Amino acid sequence: MESFYALMSGFTVAMTAANLLYASVGVLLGTAVGVLPGIGPAVTVALLLPITFKLDPSGSLIMFAGIYYGAMYGGSTTSILINTPGESASMATALQGNLMAKSGRAGPALATSAIGSFIAGFIATAGIAFLAPWMVKFAVQFGPEDYFALMVVAFITVSATFGDSPLKGLISLFCGLAFGLIGIDKLTGQSRLTFGLPELLDGVEVTTLAVGLFAIGEAMFVVSRHRVAEEVMQMTGSLWMSKEDWKRSWKPWLRGTMYGFPIGALPAGGAEIPTFLSYSTEKRLSKHPEEWDTIGAIEGVAGPEAANNASVAGTLVPLLSLGLPTSATAAIMLAGFQQFGLNPGPLLFAEKPDLVWGLIASLFIANAMLVVLNLPLVGIWVKLLKIPTPWLYAGILMFAAMGSIATKGSIAELLMLLGFGIIGFLMRRYDYPVAPMVVGLILGPMAESQFRRALQISIGDPLVLVQSPIAATLLGVAFLALIAPYVAGGLNKFKANED
Amino acid sequence: MPIKKRDFIAGAAATLLMAASIGTASAQMELKILAPAAPGGGWDGTARAMQQVLTATGIGKSVQVNNIPGAGGAIGLAQFVNTAKGDPNQIMVNGFVMVGSLITNKSPVNLGMVTPIARITAEAEVIVVPATSPIKDAKDLVAAMKADLAKVTFAGGSAGGVDHILAGLLAGTVGLDGSKVNYVPFSGGGEALAAMLSGRVTAGISGWGEFEGQIKAGKLRAIALATPDRLKDNPTPTLKEQGINLELINWRSVMAAPGITADQKKAISDVIDKMVKSKEWKEVLVQRGWDDAYLPEPAFGEFLKTEQVRVEAVLKSVGLVK
Amino acid sequence: MSQSTSAPKGRDKPAIVVGFLMLALAGILWADAVSLGSVVAYGIGPAVVPKIIAAGLVLLGLLSILSGFRSAGTEPEEADFGPVGILVIGFLVLTAMIGFGGGFVPAMAVLFAITSFAFGRRAVLVDLAIGVVLSTLIYLLFSKLLTLSLPQGPLERLLG
Repeated sequence: MESFYALMSGFTVAMTAANLLYASVGVLLGTAVGVLPGIGPAVTVALLLPITFKLDPSGSLIMFAGIYYGAMYGGSTTSILINTPGESASMATALQGNLMAKSGRAGPALATSAIGSFIAGFIATAGIAFLAPWMVKFAVQFGPEDYFALMVVAFITVSATFGDSPLKGLISLFCGLAFGLIGIDKLTGQSRLTFGLPELLDGVEVTTLAVGLFAIGEAMFVVSRHRVAEEVMQMTGSLWMSKEDWKRSWKPWLRGTMYGFPIGALPAGGAEIPTFLSYSTEKRLSKHPEEWDTIGAIEGVAGPEAANNASVAGTLVPLLSLGLPTSATAAIMLAGFQQFGLNPGPLLFAEKPDLVWGLIASLFIANAMLVVLNLPLVGIWVKLLKIPTPWLYAGILMFAAMGSIATKGSIAELLMLLGFGIIGFLMRRYDYPVAPMVVGLILGPMAESQFRRALQISIGDPLVLVQSPIAATLLGVAFLALIAPYVAGGLNKFKANED
Repeated sequence: MPIKKRDFIAGAAATLLMAASIGTASAQMELKILAPAAPGGGWDGTARAMQQVLTATGIGKSVQVNNIPGAGGAIGLAQFVNTAKGDPNQIMVNGFVMVGSLITNKSPVNLGMVTPIARITAEAEVIVVPATSPIKDAKDLVAAMKADLAKVTFAGGSAGGVDHILAGLLAGTVGLDGSKVNYVPFSGGGEALAAMLSGRVTAGISGWGEFEGQIKAGKLRAIALATPDRLKDNPTPTLKEQGINLELINWRSVMAAPGITADQKKAISDVIDKMVKSKEWKEVLVQRGWDDAYLPEPAFGEFLKTEQVRVEAVLKSVGLVK
Repeated sequence: MSQSTSAPKGRDKPAIVVGFLMLALAGILWADAVSLGSVVAYGIGPAVVPKIIAAGLVLLGLLSILSGFRSAGTEPEEADFGPVGILVIGFLVLTAMIGFGGGFVPAMAVLFAITSFAFGRRAVLVDLAIGVVLSTLIYLLFSKLLTLSLPQGPLERLLG
């Protein structure tokens, strides 16, 4: 209860008219910059941080929280509208979100992602306030073999993105795994598959691959059929979520949060795995399986978006209670907190509770401001899709190139983007799914490092992979998830035979 | 428990001070600072802090930061060597890690091709063990390493980075084979901490700031610092005090373009000298937890050369370079 | 896009081509893995996982080739490769302009104009003008608000 009163007093200080204004300015700035692909939340916050210095301290903390939430949300907007995920965790959103946009339901997709982000953010922020010390004890028990087992679970989920041919899906996945090998090996520092090009030493950036395959590949595909089949973005139905949409969204929001928050709180959990898990769960549970490959299913947007936002709030758990940033965004936030005299660490909750509660109150306010400001904006965003096709795609290509130019500025990066665009075009033309390739690029290197780390610590003893209770449980889950469809399929067949 | 505004204000007072002192200019210089890393990293942080101080104090006019990330700084350095030649208004931020990454990445450019200006900051490296560990000091650790080198696992940052180099140097200094050190690189402090607290690894190596909170909270025990002397208000002994003749700091420095004249070099050196001596810079150091390690020319050039020799030797000994 | 007209010879050519591409990719991975040849004291080295992935690619490649010979496959829809080529050229022009110091604004404007040309618009000058306005706005947003320096050409130096 003491926590609760502390939080309330945090609110009374944070809730002034000026602070609400700062929160809204922060949200707008964050959204505006966050929509640029390649400029993820980390870079957005890093670059906008100096602006907050000019305010009084509590105002700057709130504006900072606003920028952060705005930047998070900005990435999903471009995923849905123009199939251009601004960061790796928005990829799952792009899959169904863009299908929905193409079938004229961009409004509900944007709305479910904004509201889902809000709800996930709200629950997860409450989680930080009340569960952080307990969660962090669990999180530090996770070792490399446990992470590896978690990756195995995540790999099972990739089949949800395969479409109708497992062979084609696996080919796409393995190409992604191969791309993931490029660059410096994390454990030995050796360079693999770089062919002497220094530009390849840092490997293939996930956003480069995703933007190339998704946005540029699709632009090429559309233009190749432009004269054959006139394809226009339709504008049908309501801008707003229908009663049915709400009914279909609320459970995915909650399930996504349940994946996102705990996994995000793990030091090496990240935001991608919970979005994949949520996507595949929603696909399996969906009562409208026919929509997933055609007009887009709202569950596939609601779940991953909630998972993404909750996981990002989850990274605040180790940040605040251990003082350790576990993602690029968290590292920037740490720098920000230090500017405000807030030094995260194990003693923070005990020594400076008022600062912590002030911060948590700021996060709540900024999160609410995000949804208040962005829901009216949905109408404007959707109108963007009405601009004539040539300009729309010209704008998309500009956007796609801009992210690479701004953060890397290298010719090699632009050529890679184009190369992936051509690959994406060919894959679309010959009906290969593109998402497994991105999943492979994300999960492959993570799984490899954890696997090898576990074996290095155990000095080569493979039993380490199953000895920890967490790893054994997760591998059991993976096994069940793998055989479940067959068992269920067999049962159905059995039933069908009986009839 | 009301929020105390005073606490907030104290934290940001430095920034406000900086804003207030704009315009006390003398000889101003237009500068372009190259950060050979992505926005948000350590070198970028240093470059942007310099930008902040240089403009706030009026030492520099229109200071611009340019990021060229990639390959541990090798791509940024290559670009700097090729395009900034003879330009007296361009400087680059770099540090200890670049010395190693240029060698491991077989970079065609090296630090001998640019003009050294000064070392400006440093971070102390510390060796920690879990609080429950039977290892109490550096001697215990060395004894454990000598008993079975394979079983003493070190958690630290990226392969070939400063933490790895310290592990290799430690083994070498006490007469063990550097290539047999069981050093496990982790992607972040959180993972390394978890590996230690759950008892999976024996010891951890990192910058002091990374685990400061854990040390103060009593979850980790700092057994040795690799600094030449003890840190202020810090009871942790150095390696040297414990009979291990080894010093290593993670430094950051400023370089100028190749092919500039002696006068131009002096002008840049003066700007940096004024910057590091300003009150604003001192405040930045406190805020960011950086140690002042200012070492101007010509001493810095000599220092750089010895570091290069030492790093190359240790990278060979741990098997990263043939 | 599954309006299928079955191929006359009863072969799925794309699947066969993809199969051979996978075999080639596996070869590259394997060759690179072998060249690493590093000695790792503990655990497994950097060459093991590439070899596993290469083996997977070989298997998938063979399966793809096999399925290509077995099934008729579906002929993809008719497509215009001309406009795709124009898009590629537009992107290459952008890359070249950035590479040779043409600056961000002109490079982006040219990309915008060429892309909308590929999509059938013929008002090149109008589109160039739109591209210049858009990219100037973006340039100012980046350089002034975010202090991120985008590639500068003569035009950008005027903007400051």
